[in-house]
Amino acid sequence: MKTAHEIRPGNVIMLDGSPWVVQKTETTRSGRNAAIVKMKLKNVLLDSSTETTFKGEDKMDDIILERLDCTYSYFADPMYVFMDAEYNQYDVEAGNLGDASAYIVDGMEEVCQVTFYEGKAISVELPTTIVREVTYTEPSARGDTSGKVMKPATVSGGATLSVADFVKTGDMIEIDTRTGEFKKRV
Amino acid sequence: MSTETDNKHWDIFCAVVDNYGDIGVTWRLAKQLAHEYELNIKLWVDDLHSFSHILPELDPSQTSQQFCGVDILRWSSPLDITFVPGSVIIEAFACELPFEVTESLIALKKDNKATPPLWLNLEYLSAEAWVDGCHALPSLQKSGLKKFFFFPGFTDKTGGLICEKSLFSEREQWQATPDNKLALFEQLGLQAIDKNDLCISVFSYETEALAALCELWQDTQKKVHLLIPKGRSLHSLSHLLPIEYELIKPGQHYEYKQLTIHILPMTDQQGFDKLLWSCDINIVRGEDSFLRAQWAARPFIWHIYPQEDDYHLVKLEAFMQVYCDNLAPEIAGHWSALNLAFNQGAQNRVKTLWQHLDSVNRPLLQHAQEWPVNALNDADLASRLVQFVKNS
Repeated sequence: MKTAHEIRPGNVIMLDGSPWVVQKTETTRSGRNAAIVKMKLKNVLLDSSTETTFKGEDKMDDIILERLDCTYSYFADPMYVFMDAEYNQYDVEAGNLGDASAYIVDGMEEVCQVTFYEGKAISVELPTTIVREVTYTEPSARGDTSGKVMKPATVSGGATLSVADFVKTGDMIEIDTRTGEFKKRV
Repeated sequence: MSTETDNKHWDIFCAVVDNYGDIGVTWRLAKQLAHEYELNIKLWVDDLHSFSHILPELDPSQTSQQFCGVDILRWSSPLDITFVPGSVIIEAFACELPFEVTESLIALKKDNKATPPLWLNLEYLSAEAWVDGCHALPSLQKSGLKKFFFFPGFTDKTGGLICEKSLFSEREQWQATPDNKLALFEQLGLQAIDKNDLCISVFSYETEALAALCELWQDTQKKVHLLIPKGRSLHSLSHLLPIEYELIKPGQHYEYKQLTIHILPMTDQQGFDKLLWSCDINIVRGEDSFLRAQWAARPFIWHIYPQEDDYHLVKLEAFMQVYCDNLAPEIAGHWSALNLAFNQGAQNRVKTLWQHLDSVNRPLLQHAQEWPVNALNDADLASRLVQFVKNS
């Protein structure tokens, strides 16, 4: 059992008797510190998607399906192909990766978890932390070194996020894939 | 089979958190739905004692009573009144529904012949952009039940703002007769206020900014009257008061050169509206008084509910941007800076900004007068809520 706040893209949750792949999560803050979690879900059985909202503390069954450690191999539109340690390949629909697809890059070595439902690879969970190269960000406007002033940046794979003002194009940065937040420059 | 009576029966659940905010909003909404839409509203409240501060006629010892056409029911745990489902259930501000209610909804869902009530979570008001994307989205529950998040807000993609149909005309009539203000002050037991003096109502949280402003107001050219009830804001001024806080009583006043602090009695919601309409500037907090200050068409300072990591400042900034959208940059900048300084408890800054408030006061007042109609955006929250239920 997890709270909505703990659910992340790639998880599979059980709602009303159906398994749903979590494609995207977006956490915001309502009044009195309460979290609101907006999710994009895909019904594994019906192949239909929906947007839904939860209170951060809503409890839900994170179903434990078969999972395998895999690495990204290549993209064969519309499927991302992952490979396990024994060189077996698994195709995952691009739509099922949700926001995670923006962190997928050729040659990435991070170990991802591919989730299976009735023998079919249905989702991919990235490691909690990944390192990506900043492919574009505006030069620092204010020379701030505190890390409190933020600016937009794009990283390899295509994800955009807010980074500290001192980060430059070409820097390698650590990203929390659960929240899509910049953690530090490495 | 549901009857017309069932369709008009809505239940609203409110868990009181900070005395007046949550119950203030839900009580207004309940009254409006009962009065303007002839709905049979059952308002379940877990703390009738706090509720009685804004509805003095309420008897907290009763399990069930009716005011303004609304059935007010004591929400005890377990419920000591049998819950009979109607057509709509509103959980105010994400409060957890009683076990008996969710069980009843699950039973109705399992019974193929019955339709469970439409289940809504009425959320907090925010001007942040994400609200547009979350308003009216379903929330799939483990049980298979579906509830919807209903977000108040400032755009046509949100649930709108609570505002009674006749409010603006009542306020205009009130403000058109300056004697109304002095009559109200007299009725509240406030003495020695001249119609040309500056009157400021205060309903904030504790803040050093208020103490700093009181220092400043003692030496201003114009007489300043601070109208403040016993409570969180007055705690910020305890160092100024000549007697112990516990001994302070409504109707008392304390003079400090040009500044007079008047202790207000608690009023009902209509009385509070009239107070806001009568003051030159209102310092308000949270959500209910914040919105009523906007409807008062007078300049105001919003002391927002503080959140972890200063997240409240993000919400403040979002509102200031919406509020200042068509305001001249220098006026917008000044007003926003004053609100920010007040919320940050920045004593020197808040004083400096107040000293220059005179220079922007006229356009700020004009903006405050135009704002209510713009903010309402053609539809208030109750009408959008009723429409949402009809369409569901």
